[in-house]
Amino acid sequence: MKMVPLEAYLILSLLLFGLGVFGMIVRRNLVAILMSTELALNAVNVAFVGADSHLGLVDGQVFALFIIALAAVEAAVGLGIIVAIFRLRKVESSDELTDMGG
Amino acid sequence: MMQWVAFLFFASMTLLSALGVVLLPNIIYVILSLLSTLVMVAGIFFVAGAELVGALQLLIYAVAIAVFYVLVLTAVPWEKALKKDSHYRVEGVLTFPILLAFYLEIILVFLLGISVSPKGQIREFIQNLGNTQVVGSILFSKYFFAFELVSLVLLVGMIGAVIVGRREDKTYEDGSP
Repeated sequence: MKMVPLEAYLILSLLLFGLGVFGMIVRRNLVAILMSTELALNAVNVAFVGADSHLGLVDGQVFALFIIALAAVEAAVGLGIIVAIFRLRKVESSDELTDMGG
Repeated sequence: MMQWVAFLFFASMTLLSALGVVLLPNIIYVILSLLSTLVMVAGIFFVAGAELVGALQLLIYAVAIAVFYVLVLTAVPWEKALKKDSHYRVEGVLTFPILLAFYLEIILVFLLGISVSPKGQIREFIQNLGNTQVVGSILFSKYFFAFELVSLVLLVGMIGAVIVGRREDKTYEDGSP
């Protein structure tokens, strides 16, 4: 059985992570910024699992499980902060959040 | 061969849906595109033989987190965001060479690390079991402390989300939010 090479997983991971970072920079909507963060986290998971199937181990899959759990925490706290920002400031775009700007 | 075809299909669909997440203007389409991306990444996990992680990706990511995003979209007025276009496009593209260098560094560390690490200790143990059994036994023996630490992080995150989302009229004494 021909295995998928490690390079394919890493190239996919690189492209997905790049798209995530691109979305974090380009997007203005706060919820869309968090969704781009999810793309980057998934890219890391793909790299972990691809390295696992290359090495024949399962340690990377354990860390992928940890990353999924931490992504759930990040979504809960981040979305809570977004809802709080909207309730207190009535803004939902990252351009209008300039309170900490120099 | 079949594995390679499946991988190419899942990878191309992942990248296509990720492009949708980054570029689509309507936030509802964005979240549908994110859902498609998560499901296709689960398919990549299945191709790589990580069945437990793929199943949890479907259960936790594609169901729980995506539904949570939809729920939050009902709390913020997303219609206002439709009129605005995105910004910093050039700067976003310019981050890609930096990312490429970063990944090359990761690959260097990975290859160097596995070339000197002792290997083959648990290979025979793994080959006799299914994926879920292996992940469970490693998770509850070698990484048990990290597992408990993750549960602590989940608890802290839950308390933090409750505190942040609590409704109160005045946060400080002078009434500023």
